[in-house]
Amino acid sequence: METMKYTFNVEKDDFVRAGEASSNIKKILRQLGIDPGLIRRLSIASYEAEINIVIHSHGGQMELELAPDFVRIVASDKGPGIENIELAMQEGYSTATEKIREMGFGAGMGLPNMKKCTDEFKVESVYGKGTTITMEISLKAGD
Amino acid sequence: MSNKYFHSVILEEDRCIGCTSCLKVCPTEAIRLRDGKARIIGEKCIDCGECIRICPNHAKSAVADSLSITKKFAYTIAIPSMVLFGQFNSKVKIGEMLAAVKSLGFDEVYEPALGAEIISAVISNHILKKDAPRPLINSSCPAILRLIQIRFPDLLPNIIDIETPIEITARIAKQDATRKTGLDMQDIGVIFISPCTARVTSIRNPLGIKKSYVDGVVSMKSVFGEILRNLNNVEPENIIKSTSSSMMWPIIGGQSKAIGSENYLAVDGIGEVIKVLEEIEMGKLEGLEFFEGTACLGGCVGGPLTIENPFISRNRIRILAKELPMPEHTPEYIEEAIRMYNDGLVRLTEQIEPRSIMRLDKDISKSMKKMEMIKEILKYLPGLDCGVCGAPTCKAFAEDIVKGENPRSVCIVKTMENFRNKKKNS
Repeated sequence: METMKYTFNVEKDDFVRAGEASSNIKKILRQLGIDPGLIRRLSIASYEAEINIVIHSHGGQMELELAPDFVRIVASDKGPGIENIELAMQEGYSTATEKIREMGFGAGMGLPNMKKCTDEFKVESVYGKGTTITMEISLKAGD
Repeated sequence: MSNKYFHSVILEEDRCIGCTSCLKVCPTEAIRLRDGKARIIGEKCIDCGECIRICPNHAKSAVADSLSITKKFAYTIAIPSMVLFGQFNSKVKIGEMLAAVKSLGFDEVYEPALGAEIISAVISNHILKKDAPRPLINSSCPAILRLIQIRFPDLLPNIIDIETPIEITARIAKQDATRKTGLDMQDIGVIFISPCTARVTSIRNPLGIKKSYVDGVVSMKSVFGEILRNLNNVEPENIIKSTSSSMMWPIIGGQSKAIGSENYLAVDGIGEVIKVLEEIEMGKLEGLEFFEGTACLGGCVGGPLTIENPFISRNRIRILAKELPMPEHTPEYIEEAIRMYNDGLVRLTEQIEPRSIMRLDKDISKSMKKMEMIKEILKYLPGLDCGVCGAPTCKAFAEDIVKGENPRSVCIVKTMENFRNKKKNS
């Protein structure tokens, strides 16, 4: 069976709308009827990815792909790219400015959290170009 | 009267003019206009009463019992919601209100404070100290419980497994009465005077317990006039059990203070509750100990079956509370309360199950096909969410078509547009 795709744009620095894409993704997953626990994991992961685009990037998009046996979320942005992925994956490491941290974001848990919440997790980044994060959760039969 | 989708919220058809006001406020999109009348979808309704409040024609109301229900029992006890104390002017004393309730035709009157104190003692001395998922969520608002079942099933384990003040008070009152009168349990009728539509439903169709000890629910609105008249010719009852702390339960934040939580969040109004539960579900409120949520604005004082404005009612209750003593929780009292909880006497014994009414199909592949169709249909809809078709949003309209629930659906806006285009082209 073919997969289904939904795409949501995410604007840089738009904190008012930050979370809207994830909230839409959650609604779609609920209609799909998968296990609430999986929905929660995917929601957390997609929210973290979306906030990252708002805070750190020049803007980008979230793509939700549904298949009968998996759910994939691809968060991609138009740069600036991650300089050191290994460092970025460390818990507590953040490049967020003081101002952002004061707002309660940028705790350096984003990427590690996404990884924790999903079955497959991949970061591809070209410094100066952009970052693509691909996350997947597999759906067992009966979920 | 008990069936799977019993609801207290009903429509009086001849009053409904099909205006779409209620469609828009329903937090679970449970209302559709069909043949010009608002229909409630039973499996989606959580009895919050938002539609009753908004309806300009008073076409939405609640089914509850009438006072004549007292005739079914040899001995009757009234439990008025604490909200009652805010319904009359501030010169009226608690004892007078209790007496006026009793003279509606009851043998006795009990205050729900009895149950509220036990709950406060158990939560603050036992449950807050236990290792359980945080934040703990209050179990007292029945509309919120049903909302969590439908929209936040992942938070069901966070709900505190303790009964409501009314349920506990009803149990104590009944036991006291059997001792006093020698009558059987079934000959004693406990009647609750309710500010809340969801409570009417949850007493007939309980969540978390097998059967309610409350035998009837009378709407506060329906007996307000009679209580008011009785106030003129009663001797005040001298049985007041309310404390300065239990008195504040019907006001949002009152429970959090009563249990002495150090880090709580008290949210009123179902729309705001949904927003905060979203944040909790995402794990964004780390360290939060207790979440108190009520569907109604201001807490239970904002219930759809009340007469007085919730803010005025809140002010009066606060004044009355100031004159009451602080609760006395002796070590023996606390120990007894915890024992009642551990023995299951005041505890929710039945699992509260998730209800996945949002999903389109049990089979994920079929769900996906339906979603694909919804996506296609949405492309042709104007996205105005005008409600004229009878669905609250264009998306709900598309979903209804795909689910086969609305075979005769027409989008007026789209039809007009097509009509204009045809005219232009001819």
